[in-house]
Amino acid sequence: MDALVLLLTLAVLLAVGMPVAFAVGLSAVVGALWIGLPLEALMIQITSGVNKFTLLAIPFFILAGAIMAEGGIARRLVNFAYLFVGFIRGGLSLVNIMASTFFGAISGSSVADTASVGSVMIPEMEKKGYPRAYAAAVTASGSVQAILIPPSHNSVIYSLAAGGTVSVAALFIAGVLPGLLMGGSLMLMCMLFARRRGYPKGEPITLKAALKISVDALWGLMTVVIILGGILSGIFTATESAAVACLWAFFVTMFIYRDYRWNELPKLMFRTVKTVTIVMILIGFAAGFGAVMTWMQLPTRITEFFTSLSDNKYVILMYINILLLLIGTLMDMAPIILILTPVLLPVTNALGIDPVHFGMIMMVNLGIGLITPPVGSVLFVASAVSKQNIEAVVRSMLPFYGMLLAVLALITWIPAISLWLPRLLGMM
Amino acid sequence: MARLYITWMDRLYLAAMVVSGIALLVMTVVIPVGIFFRYVLNRGISWPEPVAILCMVTFTFIGAAVSYRAGGHIAVKMLTDRVPEGCQRLLARLVDLLMLVISALMLWYSFFLCQGLWFQPVAEFPLLTAGQTYLPLPVGSAILILFVIERLLFGSQAQRPLVMLGNPE
Repeated sequence: MDALVLLLTLAVLLAVGMPVAFAVGLSAVVGALWIGLPLEALMIQITSGVNKFTLLAIPFFILAGAIMAEGGIARRLVNFAYLFVGFIRGGLSLVNIMASTFFGAISGSSVADTASVGSVMIPEMEKKGYPRAYAAAVTASGSVQAILIPPSHNSVIYSLAAGGTVSVAALFIAGVLPGLLMGGSLMLMCMLFARRRGYPKGEPITLKAALKISVDALWGLMTVVIILGGILSGIFTATESAAVACLWAFFVTMFIYRDYRWNELPKLMFRTVKTVTIVMILIGFAAGFGAVMTWMQLPTRITEFFTSLSDNKYVILMYINILLLLIGTLMDMAPIILILTPVLLPVTNALGIDPVHFGMIMMVNLGIGLITPPVGSVLFVASAVSKQNIEAVVRSMLPFYGMLLAVLALITWIPAISLWLPRLLGMM
Repeated sequence: MARLYITWMDRLYLAAMVVSGIALLVMTVVIPVGIFFRYVLNRGISWPEPVAILCMVTFTFIGAAVSYRAGGHIAVKMLTDRVPEGCQRLLARLVDLLMLVISALMLWYSFFLCQGLWFQPVAEFPLLTAGQTYLPLPVGSAILILFVIERLLFGSQAQRPLVMLGNPE
């Protein structure tokens, strides 16, 4: 009954169109009142949700990505990717996906990835004879990698939602292979399409130009070297590395690339305030919501429910995947991670699934949710950037959904894809 | 009257935006300062961490009000977009009222929280008391209430040039 009140309130508040963060907060209040919890205690939970040191990494990573994206990193990464895959048939579609891999190493935001890589790549692909909708579909599906490739602020959110039992560093390293697997399989599919539809190869580039392009891109890609190098060597914590990444991004954008004007900096701050506070307040309210759920012993009961469904852990994982995919089509990533991790993690722990592995499963599921209607922020941005309607983009994307689901299945059923690298590096 | 209220909300909005921006800036700078002290000056200092966290709490609760006025908070529009227009307007007002409820509750209870803990010291950061570190909650909620009232009375202000500052072009 308690749980029903809590979840029903949330569902109704979301349905009438209340902003998700505040709907989560208000249902937490209703839930707390229902079980007779003092609201001051709830306020403490909400605040303690956002006064954690680890959490600082989220604004830092988003800010670093925003500075880089504003400073024209997308164009440079596209040029850099061109050196590796441009000469293959269907070159530009491959460049698009590889540029997203690189972009993911700078920013963990798929939306930013689609917006910046898409605005460079979609017009260019159209010029070379690719249909616009196809270009948009490639951009959107390629950008899902950004949430897996480190640094990923969604990994920080997951680590937080898991109650600090999973280290951000391990999640970062765990994301490398699944991210590359995803990028690789998408590229493979683009190559097949290019052969069948006769998309062109790219023009060769002179050695001198190639050198300049590499140097230019490597300044930006140093970000991920700093972050991973700092974490792996133990010099920085994940949070500190995020702050250093901000300074580095600022240095590269203002002093190396110099595409960004100083007087535009306040605008950049304002934009970051707007995007980051949306996530942060959600994290606060979700912490309150999570506390109410725990007081209601909801996670325990949900674990009992799931484990009663089947004895086979892969069957249960399949149910969880379907649940995540379905909710992922309706809602944005961060709220789902925050609300469902404390509920589902006990289930997967009971099944003996490593929390780092489950984190990857969750990211991929919710990443696919970002590009599926009815609610998919990346899909919306891809459609806006390409000026194609959503139906057209979705139609071109159908084979890509198939590929991403296959990748999801692999990541779900082969834990080693996620766990091999962090284990090799002794992180878990 | 309407114009006066909105003009004052513009000022409040700008002030809140600047405060959040500065908080973001400060937290981005103090963490590297801590690293600098640790590795270059070989002296661990304890204050950057609590300062950054305090900035983050400020940034979160003040900035949330800013994002609200800018129409930034994500809502699930799937159902509301499919009902008749009159119904949509009604739901929008209902949401405004619900926003008023949650922000008023936040203000009320966080105010008592601040009051109750006003003299309780914080071990890591002796400059402030526990109650003071909770201040961004009631302040942010109060700003939010003013913005919600504005929206309830005069409609969304998200399209004002000042509010759109920093939106992607």
